Amino acid sequence: MHEIKMNRKKDKGFESPRPFKLTHQVVCINNINFQRKSVIGFVELTIFPTVVNLNRIKLNSKQCRIYRVRVNDLEAPFIYNDPTLEVCHHESKQRNLNYFSSAYTAAVSAVDPDAGHGELVIKVPSELWKQGDEMNVLKVYIEFSLDQPKGGLHFVVPDVEGSMAERGAHVFSFGYQNSTRFWFPCVDSYSELCTWKLEFTVDASMVAVSCGDLVETVYTHDMRKKTFHYVLPIPTAASNISLSVGPFEILVDPYMHEVTHFCLPQLLPLLKHSMSYLHEIFEFYEEILTCRYPYSCFKTVFVDEAYVQVSSYASMSIFSTNLLHSALIIDQTPLTRQCLAQALAQQFFGCFISRMSWADEWVLKGISGYIYGLYLKKTFGVNQYRHWIKEELDKMVEYELKMGGVLLHPTFGGGKDKDNPTPHLHFSIKHPHTLSWKYYKMFQCKAHLVMRLIENRISMEFMLQVFNKLLSLASTASSQKYQSHMWSQMLVSTHSFLKSISNVSGKDIGPLIKQWVDQSAVVKFFGSFAFNRKRNVLELEIRQDYTSSGTQKYVGPIKVTVQELDGSFNHTLQIEENSLKHDIPCHSKSRRNKKKKIPLMNGEEVDMDLSAMDADSPLLWIRIDPDMSILRKVEFEQADFMWQYQLRSIFLRYERDVVAQEESILALEKFPTPASRLALTDILEQDQCFYKVRQGACFCLAKIANSMMSTWTGPPAMKSLFTRMFCCKSCPNIVKTNTFISFQSYFLQKTMPVAMAQLRDIQNLCPKDVLNFILDLIKYNDNRKNKFSDNYYRAELIDALTNSLTPAISISNEVRTVDNLNGDVRLILEEITRSLNMEKLLPSYRNTITVSCLRAIRMLQKNGHIPSDPSLFKSYAEYGHFVDVRVAALEAVVDYTRVDRSSVELQWLLNMVQNDPAHYVRHKILSMLGKNPPFTKAAESPLCNEALVDQLWKLMNSGTSHDWRLRCDAVNLYYTLFGLTRPSCLPLPELGLVLNLKEKKAVLNPTIKPEQGPDTTEMTGNTMGVHIPVMGFTSSLDEGLITMETVSSVSMSSGVAPPPQGLKRKLDSVVGPLGSSPPEPGQVLQEEDSSKKFKIRFNTMEEDEIDMESPHDSQAFIHHHLNILERPSTPGKEPPAVDQAVLSLPVTPLPSSFSKESTSSSKHSGHHHHHHEHKKKKKKKHKHKHKHKHESKDKERDSHAFSNSPASGRSVRSPSMSD
Amino acid sequence: MADPAVMAGGFSAVVGRSGGGKATSSPAENYQLARRRTLQVVVSSLLTECGFESAEKAAVESLTEMIQSYISEVGRCAKAYCEHTARITPTLSDTVVTLIEMGFNVNTLPVYAKRSQRMVITAPPVTNAPVIPKALIAGQKRTHPSHIPSHFPEFPDPHTYIKTPTFREPVSDYQVVREKAASQRRDVERALTRFMAKTGETQSLFKDDITAFPLIAARPSSIPYLSALLPSELELQTLEETDSSEQDDQTDSENTPGNNLNDDPGADKENSMLPPGGVVPSVKASEENMIDNPYLRPVKKPKVRRKK
Repeated sequence: MHEIKMNRKKDKGFESPRPFKLTHQVVCINNINFQRKSVIGFVELTIFPTVVNLNRIKLNSKQCRIYRVRVNDLEAPFIYNDPTLEVCHHESKQRNLNYFSSAYTAAVSAVDPDAGHGELVIKVPSELWKQGDEMNVLKVYIEFSLDQPKGGLHFVVPDVEGSMAERGAHVFSFGYQNSTRFWFPCVDSYSELCTWKLEFTVDASMVAVSCGDLVETVYTHDMRKKTFHYVLPIPTAASNISLSVGPFEILVDPYMHEVTHFCLPQLLPLLKHSMSYLHEIFEFYEEILTCRYPYSCFKTVFVDEAYVQVSSYASMSIFSTNLLHSALIIDQTPLTRQCLAQALAQQFFGCFISRMSWADEWVLKGISGYIYGLYLKKTFGVNQYRHWIKEELDKMVEYELKMGGVLLHPTFGGGKDKDNPTPHLHFSIKHPHTLSWKYYKMFQCKAHLVMRLIENRISMEFMLQVFNKLLSLASTASSQKYQSHMWSQMLVSTHSFLKSISNVSGKDIGPLIKQWVDQSAVVKFFGSFAFNRKRNVLELEIRQDYTSSGTQKYVGPIKVTVQELDGSFNHTLQIEENSLKHDIPCHSKSRRNKKKKIPLMNGEEVDMDLSAMDADSPLLWIRIDPDMSILRKVEFEQADFMWQYQLRSIFLRYERDVVAQEESILALEKFPTPASRLALTDILEQDQCFYKVRQGACFCLAKIANSMMSTWTGPPAMKSLFTRMFCCKSCPNIVKTNTFISFQSYFLQKTMPVAMAQLRDIQNLCPKDVLNFILDLIKYNDNRKNKFSDNYYRAELIDALTNSLTPAISISNEVRTVDNLNGDVRLILEEITRSLNMEKLLPSYRNTITVSCLRAIRMLQKNGHIPSDPSLFKSYAEYGHFVDVRVAALEAVVDYTRVDRSSVELQWLLNMVQNDPAHYVRHKILSMLGKNPPFTKAAESPLCNEALVDQLWKLMNSGTSHDWRLRCDAVNLYYTLFGLTRPSCLPLPELGLVLNLKEKKAVLNPTIKPEQGPDTTEMTGNTMGVHIPVMGFTSSLDEGLITMETVSSVSMSSGVAPPPQGLKRKLDSVVGPLGSSPPEPGQVLQEEDSSKKFKIRFNTMEEDEIDMESPHDSQAFIHHHLNILERPSTPGKEPPAVDQAVLSLPVTPLPSSFSKESTSSSKHSGHHHHHHEHKKKKKKKHKHKHKHKHESKDKERDSHAFSNSPASGRSVRSPSMSD
Repeated sequence: MADPAVMAGGFSAVVGRSGGGKATSSPAENYQLARRRTLQVVVSSLLTECGFESAEKAAVESLTEMIQSYISEVGRCAKAYCEHTARITPTLSDTVVTLIEMGFNVNTLPVYAKRSQRMVITAPPVTNAPVIPKALIAGQKRTHPSHIPSHFPEFPDPHTYIKTPTFREPVSDYQVVREKAASQRRDVERALTRFMAKTGETQSLFKDDITAFPLIAARPSSIPYLSALLPSELELQTLEETDSSEQDDQTDSENTPGNNLNDDPGADKENSMLPPGGVVPSVKASEENMIDNPYLRPVKKPKVRRKK
């Protein structure tokens, strides 16, 4: 692995995977119907062939219904085939995730624009390609429509009276990574740049906001609609194009008139306030990058039901409307600013500068994350910045240690490496669309941390120079209007980035890149030390764990800071293969008697009380890698007094670094002593200290107090402190009226009660006076004189009540009733009831109080104070509540599902995953189920049954094809519940007959025959019934349409794992013919039942003779075979392990589960039969004699190709084709 | 003798009430009724003197009324005369002048008074003059300053001319105030939420007693983000107080479609810059509002040539 990366030199220039260059694209959407949620339009792509005889053009398009395609005004035949619609077809025997993952990866690869593939294959009319070597411009014109799109575009149409504009109906594009193909045909790659002309005709009361400059707005002739004309002269990838249409209120930024903000009706005052500091962010980035914002305008749009909080597109960003806030709100303000800063950073790196390939994504995410960090540092201060870095590092380290590494720069198919560089993951990282969402987040996290490491290495100045260089190269290239070959300068690659770094800085950062970018995993250090008095030497031992998952070995320098009596000293140690021990000479003699001031790192000198110290040691504290310049986890053993010094230092300014403070707070938890208590109290009182450190100290103090329960003297921890800080002088039991002028105190005031509620007495109950104290805080809370809202504070007080809850003394499982309610709980419940009810009358910002109340009620249920019942949460989880409330309620339902093992609730949740209008909520449910699973692969559960397996399988196989993120969530959940292999609750698949031990009868293997045991049938029926219509699948059993199975026939017939590097080639060869070469009508199917394999042979013709050119009415063609979508057969490579599994199981030529026949042979004939019937009905089909290029050396390919026939009736699966 | 003014007042009071027939028995009324009865006796004896053996009650009543009026008038006039001469007590001459004024031959009076057949009636029963209820004494009555003779009337009660605090001193104890405010708010909130819960749909946490902790049922709204994001009116007030100065006039410059429909695509752009002449002053005035933003430009009319 290590050496390979050094051959990166090879990828010097950008080589397009396509035989043409796209230079310009027109997108015109003539009609947007909010009632029907449909869109009609056309696109026109201007392309330059780069090969002689360009005879087919592959484009990306999902879920669009395509009416006609013309190339230079000539009708062109085309095939539309989306293998990701249904990954594993309906052979349902295979239920193991390994199999699914590889099939899914193969499916995504088969249409991967970065490999030159696409779902839409257009045959260039022969008149055009026969012209020979003249490189003529081709104009590809495609008419399309979208009906109730499930992905790509999201319609929000509130169900109220009035016109669409009055109702606040709006629509916007969304997606995870390159998802533009969901709403118009394009080359959906970040590396294919072109200029754009965008036209949107919308209702006169609406505004269409899109990328580029709004040139003009023109009424239609009836004056009832208007057309927005946008021009984007800067070459941009289709994936960075977006649209939002709605009755937006318009706000021109008062500081920058080229910047326009849009929000939904009635929110204008919030928009004004929230956007009032955007210009500062602009100024900051422009200044550090010494580069103007690359686009001539910028637009921010705030929409409801946003997919993610922030998404950036060329010259515009789409935000969640929930980021808007008024001047009354404290807590949301920094969050919104951070979102804006992220969006703007991505404008420079991500939108303007795009990437060559997925493997280069880390550079973009890294740079945008890094400059965002600089903004944080400048705006929110160094403390906040370092705190953030530590938080991100900890998060990432934790993830990597748990899941295995995160690889920033994956390389595939190179050299001796296995195809899968991350075998520890249950998904492939080859494509963004196969990634788990959490992984992708951690990926972004690691990317910016690595950028920071690079900065540490080469200095920030050089770093910014590199960015400037990338930007100026790109902006030079972007102005070359007619030299599209120059545009690749706007694409960043790992190689070009590293080259810039070495050019600018002259430093070799190879080892750093090798360690963190080309390799996954983090470093785990264990440190311990001893002081050798005789030699006056600190003997430091640093061990590493590099064997467990997610860890790697680190060799290189490491910084250690030692604070001695005579001062603070930095040492750089060299971590080497075999040396664990490091001797660090101490500078100070132990001299306890002389009282001298102690010099610190920052030059200050302070007095310290050293009585707690070991008399012989001059050491005060030791820190390993204090600057976080290694992606690591450090576990270090230090005597407790050392941590205290570190911590109390804030007070005395011994140690100013917030990271050190936070680390010591964490460590102090293990030392419940009066000294720790004192140190923490000191911090709480010290208002120069960073507020997050103080917040951390609160919780630590609560933990320590609990451990010291028997020896604790005085009032409960923090109570007197809180009284002193926040209560009236004259009446200490009453809190002052709120002012919240000092935000530091505000945050402390919010946190302290929550931490105090964690205190417990000897009976493990929350002390009575703490509870009363909190109740008093709620009672006396008075916000009338405050210019800020107290909703977050009140919510935290409810959280404090929640924290104070302890399990009820259960009396033999009796039903909880009002009468046996404990007195304290009654008080708590009364507060919660009142607060929740008041929210209905006076809702708080983002309904924070409702959220807290719901959590409190769940906690009451869980602790057995009130009957456990999900119905309340279910009503709050319904569509139509504020999203935060829904998520909180869903979280409670998820928790209930796990605790009560309720299959009803699990079904309810899964239904919501399939049907809820809000994509974010669907995603959230699956990720919450993954985090708090109803059961896991390790444990038995009554919930784990075949029907559930089927349902989830269906969900990830076909139910989530419209949303990459959701599909990956489903995969994650499947993995959490069942693991990688076949779920244990399934019957063995080998036999046609399966003994169902529970029901004591033998049934046909359900994977072979859909009608199985009555009980299961019902289940399946249910799921099908609900699931299919909603998801819009047209594939239903009754239609008798058959899915042909060709998956993995390659590996089947070859019987061995594909050679390394085989993947790409194979896919090419397989998918190539797949896309466009349908089988001859007269194909012959043969199968060998005995071996459970079958081969399909059919007559194929040479590809060149494909009869697609015979003129035909493509529209009619589409209408009739709306479902031509075929399976791309996706026979990707499979890791050897999978191959084995696949081969050992008789699955592969998987019989279709649709067939009613029980044996596979009859099924196939049945299929064949259908096939013919189908054709007869649709005569037109016969016109296309799709021929298949037969490559004799790869016989097995035929079988793939066969399935791709538009005539095969497979098309069922295309939503766009369903008429 | 009683004070004529009081007398007069007494009579008129009686007169005023005569039709009322109110059988009340307050001391003041008793006093007046007694006088009235005496008058009736007088009238009756005069009638007897004149030879009547009986009289209708109504006639007696009328005559009583007349005599009472006459006496009252004499009293009133005598008082007027006496006051006219800056005195406060009428003298004999005042009365004489009055009688003369009323057309009575005073000279006949002694003869009439000494006639032989006159009847002597008993003096009216002694009844205490009604006690005038003491006015509420608020504060010390002021004495006359030195320049006012002491016979001048006294100052009225101070409450008639000085500001008198009528409320109790507020409780200024901070703790009590906070306590009160808190419990008041809590009571209001509780009452309000209970009312809402009683009148609307509710959800319950307990199955056995659904009224125990009633929760107002969660009701989905069509546009949930509005109520969740917009500050309540209550909060808005505070907001306005704090930053009313921050208002900017952005809204004025908002999209005004159809305002200036112009076929020339360049026209708008020129407008936004300073045009050569004509409208210069007005443009200058609103220069700051004149933001050249494509979304603020007017929507154009469709081009005719494209029409098919």
